[in-house]
Amino acid sequence: MMELLQFSLCFLGFNCFALAKFNHFRDVFKKKLTEKQRNSFLLSGWISILLSLVLCVLSDAGYGALLFCGYMALSVLMLMILYSFTVSWVKHVSVLTMSVLLLSGFSVMIF
Amino acid sequence: MKESFFRSMTWLHTWVGLLVCWLLFLIFFAGTISFFKDEITIWAEPETHHVKHQVQRVQSQAEQINYVLAQLQQQAPNSLSWRINLPEPRNPILSYGFAEPKQPGQRRAPFNYTYLDPNTLEQLPEPRDTKGGNFFYRLHFDLHYIDVFTARIIVCLASLFMLVALITGIVIHKRIFKDMFSFRANKGSRSWLDAHNVSSVLALPFHIMITYTGIITLIFMLFPYPAETVYENGLRQMFDEALPINKRAKPSEEQRPMVAIKEVLDQIYTKSPNADISYVFVRNANTATSQIVVYLATGKEVVDNGPRYLFNGVTGELEASSGEDWSASAQFYDSMTALHSGRLAEPLLRWLYFFCGVAGCAMIATGCIMWAKRLRERLKAGQKPSFGLKLVETLNLATLMGLPLATAAFFIANRLLPLELAGRADKEILVFFLAWLAMLVVAVIGREKRHWRYSAWLNAAACLLVPVVNALTTDGNWITYLLTQQWALFGIDSAFICAGLLFLLQSKKIPSHKTATNKTKLNKNRLLKEQQG
Repeated sequence: MMELLQFSLCFLGFNCFALAKFNHFRDVFKKKLTEKQRNSFLLSGWISILLSLVLCVLSDAGYGALLFCGYMALSVLMLMILYSFTVSWVKHVSVLTMSVLLLSGFSVMIF
Repeated sequence: MKESFFRSMTWLHTWVGLLVCWLLFLIFFAGTISFFKDEITIWAEPETHHVKHQVQRVQSQAEQINYVLAQLQQQAPNSLSWRINLPEPRNPILSYGFAEPKQPGQRRAPFNYTYLDPNTLEQLPEPRDTKGGNFFYRLHFDLHYIDVFTARIIVCLASLFMLVALITGIVIHKRIFKDMFSFRANKGSRSWLDAHNVSSVLALPFHIMITYTGIITLIFMLFPYPAETVYENGLRQMFDEALPINKRAKPSEEQRPMVAIKEVLDQIYTKSPNADISYVFVRNANTATSQIVVYLATGKEVVDNGPRYLFNGVTGELEASSGEDWSASAQFYDSMTALHSGRLAEPLLRWLYFFCGVAGCAMIATGCIMWAKRLRERLKAGQKPSFGLKLVETLNLATLMGLPLATAAFFIANRLLPLELAGRADKEILVFFLAWLAMLVVAVIGREKRHWRYSAWLNAAACLLVPVVNALTTDGNWITYLLTQQWALFGIDSAFICAGLLFLLQSKKIPSHKTATNKTKLNKNRLLKEQQG
């Protein structure tokens, strides 16, 4: 579950970075991205990514840092496919990511 | 020197990449496959597929070592070297062997191995003669049909070129973050550039890490001089001092009984109560200079060598250990090797390593193709392509499509070559290179889109044939592996099925002459209508 939490945080972070781009935001929401929204996405993205890195390093030290690099690569590939070929799925995938994040987070805290 | 820094970097990136791209593709391809070296070896030895992983693996080690040492005492009491390979999380087999007397002309003494089921300690049939995953591992840095020293120097230089290409690539890619998630399909060479950029950027930390650590693992090939200056006997002395457990005692004629292994193991378990032992070596057994070396597993630590202990084989006294009090530079070197080899990786990280390796292969492949495609687009109507362009296109087709074909051929040969064939392992490797040669012949004959499409079909057929041939020649198949949770075997069959489907997709995506002509006609008609309208 910890791995799932780390990956979903990483994926969410990169998703926020993608949505902070004017072209991707317009493709998903069919409207213009405001400067305030952009800053919010960037801030959320950084928090999420750094949290993922911190969790990786805290749980597995150097091994965790390697895992984090792998998560980043996988996240970017998945998002590239999403935004380039199936942009209509982005909203659903974002909701799914949030759900997985919450579930795995609760699971890690409880067990 | 070009007129601007950016142009100089672009020029350097292009030429440094192009000069060695096919060799780099081979190195990356073999290296990526090598992340599953042990799993491939298990797949290649179906005689041991029925062996189940032990539930109490670590707890059984002392008993297994005791049993095997008793066997070795009976089978080869005077051998100069005994070796026990204990079951590991990736390999369930318990095996032991002893060195036979060296024949004239032999560099190393041949080992006589016995394989056991660790659950029952029953002897298993001897696996077929195959190199398995070790072939790809060696191919990655020793190449093949070439002197090892020369091969490693070539690989070192290619890695340096790769590092330069990576750094210049970062410099010239102005939109790393802006275009991070963008891929524009069906846009000719623009799409190839996007594919090159995406495959480079998504695993950039991995690409830099794997290239840099690759150079570090072979650094003593490039820079042996500091060690040769400081140490009287050069590199050999340096490694002996860093790894004192490797120092072999000279064989003695004087016979002496060996210490009870329990005394040695007790010392190990006192030092580390949960010790996971990987190997036990015994040198000069039953003589006055006998030695016992115990290797522990690394666990999740980023080190390539776990703790190792050297004991006196007669008294059981601890004589030396490695990996505990290393200098910072020795630890750094070991960590770099660990990062590169990925031996520390558990399944999730191993698959992520593999995925990043595939991204690296895609980065090199798209770079090779893009260069040829851009040059071909610049050709004027009726202008013949240069020899250089034809050479690049030939090598592109031969390497990018030839290596996957050769790999599938290697796996098929593993199942179809007769078991009693002399030098069987070498014949499997010969099949690998013959299949690659066949693709080179195809590439020399033609490098048109249809040749790429035929090659994609051929690769798809070869990849999909691997699980089929496996199912027809062994007791298991893709479904039974899933049901019995034999993940190594299931993973390899699945990888070939995925590769086969990807090659089928590739063959569909490469436009045939007819569709290309139809598209051109449609475009012409549309233009005519627009002009008339």
